[in-house]
Amino acid sequence: MKILVVDDFSTMRRIVKNLLRDLGFTNTAEADDGQTALPMLQNGDFDFLVTDWNMPGMQGIDLLKNVRADPNLKDLPVLMVTAEAKREQIVEAAQAGVNGYIVKPFTAGTLKEKIEKIFERIEGK
Amino acid sequence: MQIQDKMMADVTLEQARKLISCLESGNLEQAREAIDGLSQIREASLFSEVGKLTRQLHEALANFQLDNKITGLAAQEIPDAKERLNYVIEMTESAANKTMDSVEECLPIAQSIKETADNLSIDWSKLYSRELKPGEFRELAARVEAFLNSVSSDSGDLTSKLNDVLLAQDYQDLTGQVIRRVITLVQDVEDNLVTLIKMFGCSEEFKKAKKNTKKIEGVEGPVIDKTREDVLTNQDDVDDLLSSLGF
Repeated sequence: MKILVVDDFSTMRRIVKNLLRDLGFTNTAEADDGQTALPMLQNGDFDFLVTDWNMPGMQGIDLLKNVRADPNLKDLPVLMVTAEAKREQIVEAAQAGVNGYIVKPFTAGTLKEKIEKIFERIEGK
Repeated sequence: MQIQDKMMADVTLEQARKLISCLESGNLEQAREAIDGLSQIREASLFSEVGKLTRQLHEALANFQLDNKITGLAAQEIPDAKERLNYVIEMTESAANKTMDSVEECLPIAQSIKETADNLSIDWSKLYSRELKPGEFRELAARVEAFLNSVSSDSGDLTSKLNDVLLAQDYQDLTGQVIRRVITLVQDVEDNLVTLIKMFGCSEEFKKAKKNTKKIEGVEGPVIDKTREDVLTNQDDVDDLLSSLGF
């Protein structure tokens, strides 16, 4: 399982990577915004994307839309981990095809629960 | 002021009556004097108006001393505040990294203690169920001894790294002081802006703008205002919304 973690703050990437490692996901890569992340996704064999929303360059929501619009990436599971918590934003992310949405600050338990739920649903299909 | 106006009107009336009576009696010399008197009254009131205007101008200029304060804010204190806030970002980032460095060093130590203890415990239970051969017992005893020594030195390591984590939290005090100063500055800027708005006579618009709740579009980072109805405050609310959307 190869996971790409996208956040403009290196500390947050590090926290997410550590939590993922604790959940048994050791194969992770990092990007600091959508613009860097998109070519990595297109050229790499990632199985899962964890992204922030508010980033310079390309924002997380646009990265999500680009992923869904790309025939090779459209089925990639995407988990959004963000401080953005407006009702309309969550609706927008859901409509854009997000697989999970976590608001910061979050706990290790929440991350575990959401990741498990995403994979359960994918396996159930 | 009203009394003064009344007095002036009385004097003017008196002069006017004098002028009429002089003209009627054909006393042109005195009539000319009466006309001069009237124009003096006019000049006097003109002077007093000019005087009032001068005083107002003076007060307006004095109020504009404020302008100097705004110049100071824009030239010095706001750039200084930006530097201070950048310092807060640097301090918090460095503290977070120091903490995570230490934690990442602690994790494998704790993991290795657990693994060794688990393995020893399996063999230790063999001892009780008499499954150990004499040679194996000697080997187990040596492993237990090595483990006890390593636990002692590992917990020393853990203690020192946990202390590093503790010390890395010293940023809170320093950044707290810096942020408090910036808050004072923001308050100062606000007060000056409000005074400026009042000076330019836009108080009504200011009051109206204060009542308006402006809708913020797009990304805005963490929302602190708990009363906002367009924002969800916790993960449970987010989950509820998503499940209502069929998630």
